[in-house]
Amino acid sequence: MLTFTVRRLLYGVLLLFVIVTLAYLLLYAAAGNVARTILGPTATQATVALKNKQLGLNTPLISRYFSWLGHALTGNFGSSWFTNQAVTTAILTRLTVTLTLVFGAVIVSAVLSAVLGVWAALRGGWVDRFIQVFTVLGFAIPGFIIAVFLVRFFALGTHWFKPTGYVPLTTSFSGWVSTVTLPVIALSIGLVAGVAQQVRSSVIDALRQDWVRTLRSRGVSERSVLFKHVLRNAGGPALSVLALSFVGLLGGAVIIEEVFGIPGLGQVAVLATSEGDVPLVMGLVVAIGVIVILVNLAIDLLQGFLNPKARIS
Amino acid sequence: MFRRKWPGVAAGAALALLGPLVLGGCGSSSSSSSTLTLGVITPATTFEATDMNWGNESPYNQAVYDSLVQASPTGVIEPHLATAWSYNAAKTVLTMTLRTGVKFTDGTPFNASVAAENLEAFQKGTSNNASDLAYMASATAVSPTKLVIRLKQPDPAFLTYLGEAAGSQESPKAWKSPTASTVPVGSGPYLLDPKATVVGSSYVFTANPNYWDKAEQHYSKIVMTVYTTPTTVLDAVEGGQVNAANTFDDTTIPQIKDAGFTVYPLQLNWAGLSLFDRSGKMSGPLGKVKVRQAINDAFDRTALLKDMSDGYGSVTTQVFPTNSPGYESSLNSYYSFNPAKARKLLAEAGYPHGFTLAMPSITTAFGETTYALIQAELAQIGIKVAYTDYQGSTIFTAILAPKYPATYFTLEEDPVPWQLAQFLLTPTATFNPFHSTSPTVAGYLNTMQTGSSAQAAAAAKALNQYLVQNAWFAPFFRPQSSFVADSHTSVRVQAGNAVPYLWNIEPKP
Repeated sequence: MLTFTVRRLLYGVLLLFVIVTLAYLLLYAAAGNVARTILGPTATQATVALKNKQLGLNTPLISRYFSWLGHALTGNFGSSWFTNQAVTTAILTRLTVTLTLVFGAVIVSAVLSAVLGVWAALRGGWVDRFIQVFTVLGFAIPGFIIAVFLVRFFALGTHWFKPTGYVPLTTSFSGWVSTVTLPVIALSIGLVAGVAQQVRSSVIDALRQDWVRTLRSRGVSERSVLFKHVLRNAGGPALSVLALSFVGLLGGAVIIEEVFGIPGLGQVAVLATSEGDVPLVMGLVVAIGVIVILVNLAIDLLQGFLNPKARIS
Repeated sequence: MFRRKWPGVAAGAALALLGPLVLGGCGSSSSSSSTLTLGVITPATTFEATDMNWGNESPYNQAVYDSLVQASPTGVIEPHLATAWSYNAAKTVLTMTLRTGVKFTDGTPFNASVAAENLEAFQKGTSNNASDLAYMASATAVSPTKLVIRLKQPDPAFLTYLGEAAGSQESPKAWKSPTASTVPVGSGPYLLDPKATVVGSSYVFTANPNYWDKAEQHYSKIVMTVYTTPTTVLDAVEGGQVNAANTFDDTTIPQIKDAGFTVYPLQLNWAGLSLFDRSGKMSGPLGKVKVRQAINDAFDRTALLKDMSDGYGSVTTQVFPTNSPGYESSLNSYYSFNPAKARKLLAEAGYPHGFTLAMPSITTAFGETTYALIQAELAQIGIKVAYTDYQGSTIFTAILAPKYPATYFTLEEDPVPWQLAQFLLTPTATFNPFHSTSPTVAGYLNTMQTGSSAQAAAAAKALNQYLVQNAWFAPFFRPQSSFVADSHTSVRVQAGNAVPYLWNIEPKP
């Protein structure tokens, strides 16, 4: 397992190097005249030239790249060209916000999927059909449409929640709840739909197994059969789907944060990319790349833990 | 047995989940009267005074810095850190008397030496307004309260600039600080709270307890929240999350009014064609006045206003704004939609079958429709427009190179005629890439620069008339932009600025 972990980590570092190199080159190809973007149409050509020099854009691309890489290896990602904030500070202050939404969505999805999936599998009939329709709708409707609907009805209509912004948990619990609930729901619905279907199928499969009939014939209670045996067996595949969705949720958060005006990684990623804020975008590429690599590694290890057949020694 | 309990368990879980949410929702309330929540549409590029931008970023500057002078809402220059000033007869030496007893928030006293150093640093900085001090030759402190500024040549807009970013005063200790760009040290009415601020999203300011002019300090706290889309601004307005806000466009104005907000309309720009190549270096036809006049006659401005700006704004054929001494109301309709006349003018100029006009486009900013409308209207008189589309700021590089004889754009209208001239009209103006001039234009510009106020105003008016008659531009309309405020907030809009000056936003009694 240790060899496997080390090998995956080394592979991750190599992958990250390739990603950042490509991202750096693509960014400069698409960035245009960054100094002009920063200064706007009113600035004179002389001021724009001075700004370009100040940003180091008068040196060759290759030397800029190696200079950036050298600093990045020491943990110095520079400062945003558009806000002058240190890139590490900009990312760390927003990372907690985005992770709050993503973890919130994973937890809500796990609970609701388990409830709905098990309920559909056990009750069948109209409950099953209703949940099936719900999951299809959950798949079909994009998260941002759900987000707009939630803002219109539950923020602007009922005033139960805030339509925009984010209040940290450390500032106010009720404020935090009123700002994260709708984004978490908007992020969760698609995921709930997918995982609930997985739970339903797995539970139905498990309930048909001989060992369940054996347990029942031995007088084991239905509650014990479900919680101790069936769910444990059915939970593996659902957990895999949920874990793999974590990375997808990071992408989904980009749109959701835009709709709700939440100062997370997604919002800053959209703005920084459209402006050509190279230091900030590169910091984001590294941060998100590291998260994706670590999550994938964690999934591999988790699958190995749950299913010995999946272990690679 | 457990089957029947599931709905109950689910309902209980749902209640447990929703309980605090509903309570949280009930706990929400609008800002107190001592807190101003201001919606802004751009983050602060920097808080370092020497590099700060103006316009949409002016509230950040005005919260933490004092400027040497202040402009009233109509643009009249009034005392601030400078209490009095005078020019010599040649208008090349400005002597200012400075206020005493003012200290920066780090305890450093403000004086003429500090002011001189600030001006020189701004001149060498990278603000988008750095060229505001282009005519300054030197700034010298002759005593702690006496500042002498020498100009290379008269600059009628110089005092206006000293009331904007160029006149902002920062503590000299902050110049060497590595945190100068994120932690400002000024003498202004508010202090940035870096801990409560999320750079790029939300900026929190608290009242400076030692501020020298309490009359300008209307709130104990100001929160400037950055919104990046028209929808999020509307959501914040409808959700009562802002007291006042700048807006992106006019598409949401009806809903904003429905939310009980007052809309303060502004006309800060003009939209239309800049016919840069007035001597025909790149496009021979544009060098002829009749061709440029024909282009002006080709546009149905009322229809363009409706199609391009939802009818918000007013049609015009001049580039001087209504609050400029150079403005002349009759020039709003000097050209009218008359394709037949336009074709006749083209024929008289030697182009009976029209010609091809190359122009840049930036559809990501102005939309496909805008360019299609312009193309269609010019096609009616035989001018075929060939667009090259650009992304982002690369279009400015192309325009200013210059790579095109003309372009569509929305450009700012400065209320001070000399400001407008420096941007659009002088041979070295940023948006005069072919350096167009003529003896008549040069004469008017000279009077505007060196004459008395009355002479300068008359020259500006005459220059405006000349520019319209000789069709230097083909303006369509002045689009409306809007600042909005709730019923608890009083606002006085600022001539020539997208956002009211901070001290002109206050709670209603």
